[in-house]
Amino acid sequence: MIGMIVRRILQLTFLLLGISFLVFMSMHLAPGDPATVIGGPNATSSDLEAIRDKMGLDRPVLVQYFDYLGGILQGDFGYSYQTNQAVTEAIITRFPTTVKLAVASMVVAVLIGIIAGIISARKQNSWVDVTSTTFALVGVSIPNFWLGTILILIFSVNFQLLPVGGLNSPFYTFEGMKELILPAITLGTASAALIARMTRSSMLEVIRSDYIRTAKAKGVRKRPLIWVHTLKNAMIPVLTIIGINFGSLLGGTIVTEQVFAINGIGRLMIDAIAARDFPIVQGTVLLIAAIFVVVNLIVDIIYTLIDPRISYD
Amino acid sequence: MMRLKKTISLLFLLMTVLLLFVGCSNSESSSDGNNGEGAESDNEGAFEVTYATTSDAAGLSPIDTNDSVSSNVTYQVYETLFKQNPDTLEPEPLLADSYENPDENTWVIKLKEDIEFHDGTPFNAEAVKYTFDQLKDPERAAPRASLLAPVESIEVQDEYTVVLKTKEPYGPMLAALSHTNAAIVSPEADKEGDINKEPVGTGPFVFESWEEGNQITLKRNENYWQEPAAIEKVTYKIVPETSTAISMLETGEVQFIDQIPSDHINRIESLQGIEVQKTEGTRVSYLGFNMEKEPFNDLKFRQAVAYGVNQEAYVSQLNDLGVYSESIIGPKVFGYDEEAKSAGYEFNPEKAKQMIKENGYEGQEITLLAANRDNYLKMAEIVQSQLSDMGLNVSIETMEWASFLDVARKGDFDMTFLGWANSTADGSELLYPNLHSDNIGASNRVRFDNSEFNQLVDESRTSVDQEVRKEKLHEANLLAIETAPWVVMSHGVVTLGYDESIEGLVVDPTGMWSLYPVTRK
Repeated sequence: MIGMIVRRILQLTFLLLGISFLVFMSMHLAPGDPATVIGGPNATSSDLEAIRDKMGLDRPVLVQYFDYLGGILQGDFGYSYQTNQAVTEAIITRFPTTVKLAVASMVVAVLIGIIAGIISARKQNSWVDVTSTTFALVGVSIPNFWLGTILILIFSVNFQLLPVGGLNSPFYTFEGMKELILPAITLGTASAALIARMTRSSMLEVIRSDYIRTAKAKGVRKRPLIWVHTLKNAMIPVLTIIGINFGSLLGGTIVTEQVFAINGIGRLMIDAIAARDFPIVQGTVLLIAAIFVVVNLIVDIIYTLIDPRISYD
Repeated sequence: MMRLKKTISLLFLLMTVLLLFVGCSNSESSSDGNNGEGAESDNEGAFEVTYATTSDAAGLSPIDTNDSVSSNVTYQVYETLFKQNPDTLEPEPLLADSYENPDENTWVIKLKEDIEFHDGTPFNAEAVKYTFDQLKDPERAAPRASLLAPVESIEVQDEYTVVLKTKEPYGPMLAALSHTNAAIVSPEADKEGDINKEPVGTGPFVFESWEEGNQITLKRNENYWQEPAAIEKVTYKIVPETSTAISMLETGEVQFIDQIPSDHINRIESLQGIEVQKTEGTRVSYLGFNMEKEPFNDLKFRQAVAYGVNQEAYVSQLNDLGVYSESIIGPKVFGYDEEAKSAGYEFNPEKAKQMIKENGYEGQEITLLAANRDNYLKMAEIVQSQLSDMGLNVSIETMEWASFLDVARKGDFDMTFLGWANSTADGSELLYPNLHSDNIGASNRVRFDNSEFNQLVDESRTSVDQEVRKEKLHEANLLAIETAPWVVMSHGVVTLGYDESIEGLVVDPTGMWSLYPVTRK
């Protein structure tokens, strides 16, 4: 187990190195010049030259890359072209907001998804099952920005129950929770739907297995049968989905943060891409990649806890 | 069973730790930058106003920025020597008291006395010299250094008199000095700190805080050299989605928004308690030809396209947020003359078709390059269908903004769409950057190179007689309309949507607004 963790962390280092190279090159080789964006449409050629020179953009790309890498090794991720803010500072101030949103969405997704999945599986083909699978299909298909806008119109504008946007108060306060509800539902719906579908099919598979039949024959009561014997074994594929989904939730924050005016990593990244703010793009992509890998590592560790038969040694 | 319990408790522990971490760090960050959350617009509380902006400011120093969001903030914090009167379009003194031209190359500007920057340092000729030297300094690489490029020297004559000397007469000097990027900064603050983060000017509002990506707050300058403003606190809230911003306007989370896109204007106009202001603006949007490429460099071809494009069809889709005129210099820009309004090629599809046929351009392949923002795609679609009717074979290439700017600057296109905000409202500042051959490879994206035109624009820039300038600009305008490197698509309309409880908020044709005169009803 320990060996596996060490191995994975080593892999992570190489993976991040590869990602940094790919992102750096793709940003620098793609059309779009940061100097043109900073200078604006009315900058003259000499204005642009001066900006490029000041930012060191006139040097060969590889030189710029190794310079950047050297900085990273010393903990210096560079400075934003746009605001001159340190990349680490820009990320640290926004990261908690994004984690708050992603965790809240995950809670929504897991709660709704697993419960709906279990009920569907237990009452297979009943009206409850049909309703829940239909909702799951709709949930997966609805685009985030549309759902967000509609939720705002209904709950904030029409009923005036919840604020339109922003995540400014701490989550444990009443205000903070009110701010979180709509974005968490918007971001969590698609994952909830996926988890519900996965739980349902996985539960159905396990319910039909021999050992459950044996357990039934031995007279195990319904409740422990479902919650202990079936659910636990049905959880492995669900857990995989949850793990992968946490990564895509971080990606999904891009749209949700945009709609709800939330100042998080997703918006930082999308604004930086639009402005060709290379250092910020590299920093945020590396962070999201690292989180993705770490979450998958955690999922792998949880597997062994749920199913002792799984071993990595 | 035991193991499952363990797993569940482990998961719970993990989530709790995560949430605690998030909660704690967030409460810290919100306590320093975010006091007094939510603007009050009720009549008892302090008079606070919140404005929703679609993106964050790039910086708060007029020297180091050149985007409209930054200008919206710096316009309240800093002041310029002159200010353009939105009605007459003539520059009037603001921090300046008066000026004179002993000769065509010399501008002696007397400054107002007893004005202080927000940091308590005095506003004087030294501060003006310092600011302009910084704006021109190649080391600093100011994005609008070109504003003062013709200025050769800046001298302090006495405490309140500054003398600007130019290499040759510089006509748009006062317009340049009225530009937000030529606002005067506190030299002390700039030397000792970072005015791009903590701005210090002489304006009616003082910088309070900037939570990057989230909001900027300003408070009233109690020691303003004129009457202090009525508004006590202003918050610029960053709301990227227009529909979210409108919802916030509706629920009272923000009090005003600007630059309303044409597909949202109907929704705002239908809201109760919200006023909408629409004013003819200085912005011009155009269809541009690549003048270095065949057949776009053929006048006959461009004329045919100009006859074949029906701008009315485009403008009618803008829900009153566009005005059509054939003139390149718009009605709200210095240098405009009524005569230019219909000096172009009036819509005549038959004639267009005939010209295309006669000159052998039938079936000609054309790619329209359009950035995927503002109304450029809409323009491209309408023009595509009209040109196809004429017998041309037209496709559209869309591009994201930064890539577009790069490609367009390199001249790697057939025909494209772009706009010009015209923030000085001066015709020279429109024709020179966009169509003068000096700027090919930069802002002259269509690569128009016409010596007669160049000379007229040069004369409009080098004369200090405003009547002469106007005449030269009009001539240059007529020549450009006739030669048609651009076909005008529309002239802009600037907008504001605001809560009916506020009064005195007025948007200039350039799209700028000042919060200084705003009061509560």
